[in-house]
Amino acid sequence: MAQQAAATAPVQPARQRRRIRWRRWLGLSLPALIALAVLVTGLLADVLQMHDPEFIDLAARLQPPVFDGGTWDHPLGTDDIGRDIYSRLLHGARVSLIVVGIVVPGAALFGTLIGLISGWVGGSTGQLLMRVVDVQLALPAILFAVLLASLIGPSLTNVILILLVWTWPSYARLVRAEVLSLKERDFVTASRSVGAGGWWIMRKHLFPNVLNTVVIVMTLEVALVILAEAALSFLSVGVPPGTASWGRMISEGRDTMNVAWWPIWLPGLTLLIISLTGNLMGDWIRDALDPRLRNLR
Amino acid sequence: MQFWNYLIIRLIQAIFVTLLVVTIVFFVSRSVGNPEATMLPPLATSAEDKERFRELLGLNDPIYVQYGNFLLDLAQGDFGTSWRGGGTSTLDSIADRALNTIKLGAAGMVFALALAVPLGIIAALKRGTSVDWLARFVAVIGQATPSFWLGLMMIFFFAVGLGWFPTGGAKEGFRSLILPALALGLFEMVAIMRLTRSGMIEVMDTDFVRTARAKGLSERAVIWRHGVRHALLPVITMLGLSLGRLIGGTVIIEMVFAWPGIGRLIIDSILKNDFPMVQASIIVLAASIALANLLVDVSYRAIDPRIRAGAV
Repeated sequence: MAQQAAATAPVQPARQRRRIRWRRWLGLSLPALIALAVLVTGLLADVLQMHDPEFIDLAARLQPPVFDGGTWDHPLGTDDIGRDIYSRLLHGARVSLIVVGIVVPGAALFGTLIGLISGWVGGSTGQLLMRVVDVQLALPAILFAVLLASLIGPSLTNVILILLVWTWPSYARLVRAEVLSLKERDFVTASRSVGAGGWWIMRKHLFPNVLNTVVIVMTLEVALVILAEAALSFLSVGVPPGTASWGRMISEGRDTMNVAWWPIWLPGLTLLIISLTGNLMGDWIRDALDPRLRNLR
Repeated sequence: MQFWNYLIIRLIQAIFVTLLVVTIVFFVSRSVGNPEATMLPPLATSAEDKERFRELLGLNDPIYVQYGNFLLDLAQGDFGTSWRGGGTSTLDSIADRALNTIKLGAAGMVFALALAVPLGIIAALKRGTSVDWLARFVAVIGQATPSFWLGLMMIFFFAVGLGWFPTGGAKEGFRSLILPALALGLFEMVAIMRLTRSGMIEVMDTDFVRTARAKGLSERAVIWRHGVRHALLPVITMLGLSLGRLIGGTVIIEMVFAWPGIGRLIIDSILKNDFPMVQASIIVLAASIALANLLVDVSYRAIDPRIRAGAV
């Protein structure tokens, strides 16, 4: 008995440790793998596609996916006017990538700059900049998107513009809050006392210290931006008609929702999985960089 | 006295913000929009007809004169007359729609709070159990689900499939309110639940909770009097942010469920180039968001004395 206990005792923690390590590895690598897959499919959509995503084939409308009685010609079926859903999903990934790739870094750059200046200069200039944030808060972005789309027609540029306007204030507000407390710290006072100028302090002392926060917000914004693009396209004020985008596919699929599940379920599930992936990766990066920010959202 | 000064300054700021929003909308819509193209019947192509049309709507004046007139009317409480629907006052149409939006938003908020707060507290108290695990699982999924897709799925299952609720509109009173309110409230529910849970976990570890236990208070009193009250402070801040998000969110939900609210009114009016209606409804919307933000700031000052001391 004693021998057995001695033998099993050290095994238990080792197995537990292995299990924790395995779970942590899965927790990061699965989202990372999905993100990589989206990146690859978005970039190589032209190569991986089986049909032209905008080719209409009325003879082959509403074909079911291959696992629901369809053929390999359309592995994920076709929509109500016979377009290949698999190829459209690939090209939808490209739209999301373009939007995220421009909006997230762009908004981060602009918001950080405004936050730094507004926090450092303070006084009435800082107040003025924060009122600009208020204006943005008081105008729901979706309404502005509808306005723009109805006036100059829906386009990818509009989507990017609107999401930039929509997302920069969250960076500005966080960075400003951090700068307000950083500028009272000794190393900033010391730098100022030896004659450093405003730009120097912002570049050398403030920016490196807010970088962590900015990176964390950026990763958490990825999923938000993807969902927002989908919402705009769903309301047909996003990408122009015909373009393959996940949001637009959902809106097109709802007319045939009662007879065919795949045109609306497949893009919906794709969106769900992608934004889940974005959130999980964002959480992981946040925990790795700065666990204090756990209550950020 | 200091409080009143603060309130007046914030009120002036709110009016200023609303005016700025409307000004942006005014100039953007008038400089790019083309009411002739969308409002005149296809046969009215003669230059004379177009001229009369522009004259009637006051579009021939330079844009700064139009803007001046708009502001003058506004100062006298005249929000303008709709270009559609036989010259009805814009405010009359808005009042109805706004009431519907308020109903939807309030129902969504009530649903979110009623579910999120108890769930968050239970999850925090039973940390690590299956209840907690389930709550966190729902949170992760709920945060990633696009609300418009969720709305469509709800229509599919509960309205079309099971026939429990109408598929859209607001004709059946309470029954037609349930699905849109659920779809609208889910995201806020998840956010509030996460905040309640983390706040509760934090507060139950503090010294004053240990002291409360040590002096022999019942567990119930510790949880309610010491725990929940503190855990809910950040939730109140969050409600302010939620209000803004909720108003933005109603626009999509109103479109999905054909709910006759102010969001749909604005979208319809924009598509019809009904500028006075767009301006008036955006004033109402922007003013209510600005007021909501103000209310949160003021009530937070009342709740947390530490903020009063600092310069806000």
